Amino acid sequence: MFRAILYTQWKWSRFPLLLGVLAGFALPLLSVQRVSSVTGYWQTRTMLASVQAWGILYPILGASLALLVGALAWAADHRGRHVYALSLPVPRWHYALLRFGAGVVLLAAPVMAVWIGGILATATVTIPTGLHAYPTMLAARFALAVFVTYALFFAISAGTVRMAGYVLGALATVLVVEVITNAAGAHVSLLENLLLALVVWPGPLDVLTGRWMLIDV
Amino acid sequence: MSSAIEIRDVHYRAGKAFEIRDLALNVPTGSMYGFLGPNGSGKTTTIRLLLGLLRPRQGIITVLGGSIPREAPRVLARTGYVPELPHLYPSLTVAEALHFHAAFYPTWDWKWADELVLQFQLDRGGLLSRLSKGEMGKLEMLLALAQRPELLVLDEPTDGLDPVVRRDVLTAVLDYVSQQNATVFISSHLVHELERICDWVGVMDRGRLVAELPMHSFKNGIKRLRVLNAPALAGDTPFVVLSRDAANGSAETWVVRGWQPPMSQWFTGVGATLKEVIDLDLEEGFVELLRTFRVPQA
Repeated sequence: MFRAILYTQWKWSRFPLLLGVLAGFALPLLSVQRVSSVTGYWQTRTMLASVQAWGILYPILGASLALLVGALAWAADHRGRHVYALSLPVPRWHYALLRFGAGVVLLAAPVMAVWIGGILATATVTIPTGLHAYPTMLAARFALAVFVTYALFFAISAGTVRMAGYVLGALATVLVVEVITNAAGAHVSLLENLLLALVVWPGPLDVLTGRWMLIDV
Repeated sequence: MSSAIEIRDVHYRAGKAFEIRDLALNVPTGSMYGFLGPNGSGKTTTIRLLLGLLRPRQGIITVLGGSIPREAPRVLARTGYVPELPHLYPSLTVAEALHFHAAFYPTWDWKWADELVLQFQLDRGGLLSRLSKGEMGKLEMLLALAQRPELLVLDEPTDGLDPVVRRDVLTAVLDYVSQQNATVFISSHLVHELERICDWVGVMDRGRLVAELPMHSFKNGIKRLRVLNAPALAGDTPFVVLSRDAANGSAETWVVRGWQPPMSQWFTGVGATLKEVIDLDLEEGFVELLRTFRVPQA
């Protein structure tokens, strides 16, 4: 049963996943490429700057993959108004769990790519004294970011159109309230606070923020 | 007589425009039950309720001895379902769709599935999104049959199909029933189609079950009568008068239900003359039944 679900999900999301695997493998290698031509003190500075600059792309890659795999897990069922899924002889929670599990298995591929790419990248450059390579930690963090955001997007995309309407309606209400209260002279930042609640600990998207360093002190 | 499907006092509302009220329905085990009704009468909603796809506000639904929706997965494992509209994943090929579906049914019969693929002339490598309506109809039927179900629930399975495909699909169902003694619940608005194959019939209109009876009673019990010197008020008749139309002169045309030949004596007793008894086919009976049902609400 799980294999059947896994196969369908692979078929629906194989193109973004393959691109994700390639990007995940290439990112660590590209982040240290410029460093090999620099020596001495500047090598340390250049390495940290390069690794930090490229590091921005890990959470973007992870979130994009999580979004696509999460959305594609339900897209076919949404098109068929869930009639097929509901008529299968499995409880609804079990079916949702199978779909979720299949996505986790598929997303393990880009996580592995980041890990292998990180190990290869750090093995091919000379790391200056005082700096250390963290390919496993980076891959673990990438995995955490991917799986947390996947769980979030999977849950959102499992919702009905009506549910999406409620969410958008709630956001629109917050926006209108903020505009009215600000016009009345009271400075309330509801949207900003909402965003902060999501991306600052203990918000679920906190895992995407911060520095993503393959090589650090 | 045991029941494959039993529905009691079910109430379901979808928005403000449509509701199913006080629905009671009984499908005997081993029967072919034709579920008739015009478009929008609630046939598909009833089917979705009995499969646990929708949840009623109140009432009891029992299918193959299991309570719905609580035991829906166990019941669905023994039920083949062909929905009104194709519901399979269009990005899969025929072979992939078969493998996906088979993974969920422990009773799946690969040998028979392969035979049906050949019989229905389906291309295993063909994408579902590129199948014709007829091919898709045959594939849906194949998936429902190859799981060897005890109950087949078919929601307008031949709607929009050409006569050749329609015959193929219905033949496959009849073959299966003759082998397995399965129960078939088939909805349609194509009355003639059900007339040939069903032994029970239920008629649905505006969210209510109008009639439920054996097919032979339905076919034989509805008659058109030509009556001379009919009384102004029919009074206490041994049959149900569905409609009365004045014809030329003193002749009237009555459509009645529950007719039996000895009842002709009733006309003599009220001073009228029964000139002719005309058999109505199922479609005419169906139309008259709906017309009578709708009159008080008009």
